[in-house]
Amino acid sequence: MSTRREILKAATAASALIASPSLVFAQAAPTRARTLRAVMHGDLAAFDPIWTTANMASYHGGLIYDTLFGIDSQYRAQPQMVQSFNLSDDRKTYTFVLRDGLRFSSGEAVTAKDCVASIRRWAARDGGGQHMFRRVTDTPVVDEKTFRIVLREPYPLLIDWLAKASTNVCYIMREKEALTDPQTQITEYIGSGPFIYNRTESRQGARYVYDRNPNYVPRSEPASFMAGGKVARMDRVIMENMADPQTQVAALQAGEIDFVEWPSLDLIDTLEKDRNIKLEVMNQSGTMGWCRLNHLHPPFNNVLARRAMLYLTHPTEVMKATFGNEKYYRGCGSIFACNTPTENDANTDWFKGGQNIDRARQLFREAGYDGRPVVLLSASNVQHMTNAGLLYQQWLRAAGVNVELVTSDWGGVVARRANRNPPDQGGWNIFFTSASGSAYSNPVALAGHASNGANAWFGWPTDEKNEQLRDAWAAAATPEERMAAARAMQENAWNYVPHVHYGQWLQPSAMRANLTGMIGMPELAPFWNVGRTG
Amino acid sequence: MLAYVIRRLFSTLLVMAMVAVFVFLLLHLSPGDPAAIIAGDNATPEAIDGIRQKLGLSDPLPVQFIRWIGHVLQGDLGVSIFSNEPVLKLVGQRLEPTLSLALTTLVVAVTLAISFGVLAAWKAGTWIDRVLMVISVVGFSVPTFVVGYLLIYLFAIELRWLPVQGYTPMSEGLDGWARNLVLPSIALGLAYIALIARITRASMLDVLSEDYIRTAKAKGVANESMLLKHALKNAGVPIVTVIGIGVALLISGVVITETVFNIPGIGRLVVDAIAKRDYPIIQGVILIFSGVYVLVNLLVDLTYTVIDPRIRY
Amino acid sequence: MSVATAPAPSVPRFRPWRFVRRNPTLVAGAVILIVMALLAVFAPLIAGDPIRMQPAQRLRPPSAVNWLGTDSLGRDVFARTVYGARVSLMVGLTVAFLSVGIGLMIGLLAGFFRTADTIVMRFMDGLMAIPAILLAIALVSLTRASVTTVIVAIMIPEIPRVVRLVRSVVLSVREAPYVEAAVAGGAPTWKILLRHIMPSTFPPLIVQATYICASAILIEASLSFLGAGTPPDIPTWGNMVASSRLFLSRAPWTIFAPGLALALVVLAVNLVGDGLRDRLDPRLARRM
Repeated sequence: MSTRREILKAATAASALIASPSLVFAQAAPTRARTLRAVMHGDLAAFDPIWTTANMASYHGGLIYDTLFGIDSQYRAQPQMVQSFNLSDDRKTYTFVLRDGLRFSSGEAVTAKDCVASIRRWAARDGGGQHMFRRVTDTPVVDEKTFRIVLREPYPLLIDWLAKASTNVCYIMREKEALTDPQTQITEYIGSGPFIYNRTESRQGARYVYDRNPNYVPRSEPASFMAGGKVARMDRVIMENMADPQTQVAALQAGEIDFVEWPSLDLIDTLEKDRNIKLEVMNQSGTMGWCRLNHLHPPFNNVLARRAMLYLTHPTEVMKATFGNEKYYRGCGSIFACNTPTENDANTDWFKGGQNIDRARQLFREAGYDGRPVVLLSASNVQHMTNAGLLYQQWLRAAGVNVELVTSDWGGVVARRANRNPPDQGGWNIFFTSASGSAYSNPVALAGHASNGANAWFGWPTDEKNEQLRDAWAAAATPEERMAAARAMQENAWNYVPHVHYGQWLQPSAMRANLTGMIGMPELAPFWNVGRTG
Repeated sequence: MLAYVIRRLFSTLLVMAMVAVFVFLLLHLSPGDPAAIIAGDNATPEAIDGIRQKLGLSDPLPVQFIRWIGHVLQGDLGVSIFSNEPVLKLVGQRLEPTLSLALTTLVVAVTLAISFGVLAAWKAGTWIDRVLMVISVVGFSVPTFVVGYLLIYLFAIELRWLPVQGYTPMSEGLDGWARNLVLPSIALGLAYIALIARITRASMLDVLSEDYIRTAKAKGVANESMLLKHALKNAGVPIVTVIGIGVALLISGVVITETVFNIPGIGRLVVDAIAKRDYPIIQGVILIFSGVYVLVNLLVDLTYTVIDPRIRY
Repeated sequence: MSVATAPAPSVPRFRPWRFVRRNPTLVAGAVILIVMALLAVFAPLIAGDPIRMQPAQRLRPPSAVNWLGTDSLGRDVFARTVYGARVSLMVGLTVAFLSVGIGLMIGLLAGFFRTADTIVMRFMDGLMAIPAILLAIALVSLTRASVTTVIVAIMIPEIPRVVRLVRSVVLSVREAPYVEAAVAGGAPTWKILLRHIMPSTFPPLIVQATYICASAILIEASLSFLGAGTPPDIPTWGNMVASSRLFLSRAPWTIFAPGLALALVVLAVNLVGDGLRDRLDPRLARRM
């Protein structure tokens, strides 16, 4: 064993030596052909993927950090940094052994200590991690490359949580950074992933530069989502922050950039005609738009008024208004989003019947609606939310409900939705939000699926049964048991109605036709494996 | 003169102190919560509270203000709530694109505008005058972003003469730098050309009707050089004034032009910061902008003494 | 700079055609504005529902039903353009009247009372030093978006400019013999201000008001472009142009009508401003 490690060490040192000239080259900018210029859906505002759940921070993390496990395209957890692991017979102790040759970009080897500190910081913030750590008693470090997680009771989801790609992702940082208070942002961004963040070339708010990590040792399996070998084929990846959708598309057509993650769907027609551009849906689980109801105040403290919202909602009109092309959206009646492992059709008669304003009007009447204005929070800088606000206003009025549409930017919405006061005292009745289908499909990790009253996500629904079913889902030992729990949860949910959906859409990404090997997956943008022909 | 400059500099500080208080109150009294934006959409209310406390956003307003202003007085504008980068560094990174855009626009616009204005005044009442003035009114009547889109469509997509967007630093070659700035400067300059051309024409007409010019004309010494020498010099004061005011206009236009042409300048920095409620950046940039504005106007006032020796301070 | 009071234009008898011939810009501008104002007033008689959305009918080209086609939410572009005249004109006029009104009051007081002058003018300097568009974006994004917020946001940076203009007129007029005489005669201050000083500020202010009106309509459009404009359920030319910009090549009718209306009105207001300036006082006009 030790001899093998020696050889590996030597090999790593040699590869470092061979790689060093390319490090020198990296000082001079790589050629345009070896550089990927990508425009993502937003600005990388903050760099700590544990501190924030923003997807952009997770994209950044995916490039520079590695993970212990990663999901593959079948959503199965596969070892990534882990060489091997085993579960004790009582199913309460996991032992993990790291791969050889793992090294942070600062030069230090990745040790078990780094992993334990990273897991602990992640678990302090992530919904799944918190759920799991209520059952964790200890995380002992055995040696440089071995550590354990010891549980109070069996917890079948543990590996899935460590492998999941939805935020927060359990990225492995150096112990130094991982010991930072999880409420405080880390200040150094050093990982052991396939790319290195180039801080000097980056311009906050404008562009973020990542150089290929010459010392990264990829796994030998082919790349599949976050699993397999992360082979960087480009010397440099630049994430550009380009705000204007018209400009993004023009720049892509002119070949100034290679990739636009979320081109405006209204410009798709233009792109489809361009032979130099191809369109691909990266995230097949799509994005859910949901309309969150405030359970604390009338009318939606009454279950009948909440049910009215099921009938009031047109399954696809917000989508049609926002995305135009039917290829890219659908209505969805499953509380776990469609085209996901937890999708099901329990208790969805209301959905199959389509929009029924008369039924909604009747239910509002039965709920004793007294004519008080319903306050809708709408974000002016997010198109589908703006349109949802306008259409719900129209529908509610048709059902005899008075509406006050409060428009502000998204920053204003997130501030106001935290207000628990009655709507006429700074509170609200309805706001709109969205989540990736894959995040939405998880009954435990998505905060919005909890209905534990005052501790629940904004809207603060209360439902005992829902909470029991969530725990049952997590504890399920077999896939069949898990699916049954999910069905039961949905059956129950559409009776008490925590929120309603205004549609699910598939966002195509646009890229130059000569790009190859782009890995399309939910929640992350893995830019390894991407090459260019011609 | 020196006393005047010192007095003006002192009042500059006063103005900036006021701006500081005003901007701080505006930001902190209005709704918006950077902690909620940082935590992300899936975060629970407790997680948001935790971040808010760590950022010191739960402290009483006077405490927050004194903490901020204390740092500002030491020349420290703070760090971005989101990226942890110092505000001064962020502004420094964005300075070159914005200055490049503003200065090229200024130079192009002033040159063209004064020529137009002088020509229109010289040919007052003729069709040349009419055409020039109609063009300048139209330039004043179309939103900058519409002009920008039309320029991109025509020159970057259809004709492929110029890049669609972006900015090339001067250090990477003057050629690329200039090519990236052509379209934005035209889009931004159009309104500005209109404004200055109109003022120049009006001032020139005024001066041309003065007795001494009429006398000169009557004596038959009127020619182009006379026109330029006497009239332009005397019309200089209002023209310079409007250039001073125009700096404010330019700053506003920069915000929109930077968005359309994706130029990583200070305008984008602050617009993005407003959307994220990144208070230190908004406060810092507005403070810097207002300082620049006040100083430019001081410079403008001092220019008067050069142009028109009758003005003394 | 010396400032003369405006000599009253002597018009013995009104001859319409001569007036038109001598003031072509003024008349052209006024005609456009009157037409637009009529559209705005009689909108309900001329156009259908500007708010009803029919996503199934989105981006339809002009037809017998929708004369100017439909926008991305399936709303009637013609109806929205006609109704948009109401809000856009209202934004322009309200900003012009209020900023001139408030600026006039402050300017009169600042110009007349030396004690108030320093404080008020420093405060105005402070306001002016904040870039107008940033102040407006901040005000709109940080508070609730509404037409009122947009009006206030555009108005605030305009006020100091009006104050400066008024003050400079007051400063030069207060030394004039007829004002000195009124002061010596023991006339009450408010009377001096209203009777003797205020009228001289009118000619430049009227001209200034037209420019403020034009720029307010444009700034409203820019704010919508930056996502900090009027709420999306209220049609204005500005937010119509801004929200339709993505359809420039695919559904140009969505942007053509409101864009043309916007440019025409701004042009008309500017023409009226130029015309008034030429008539009222060319010397004062250049102070802007």
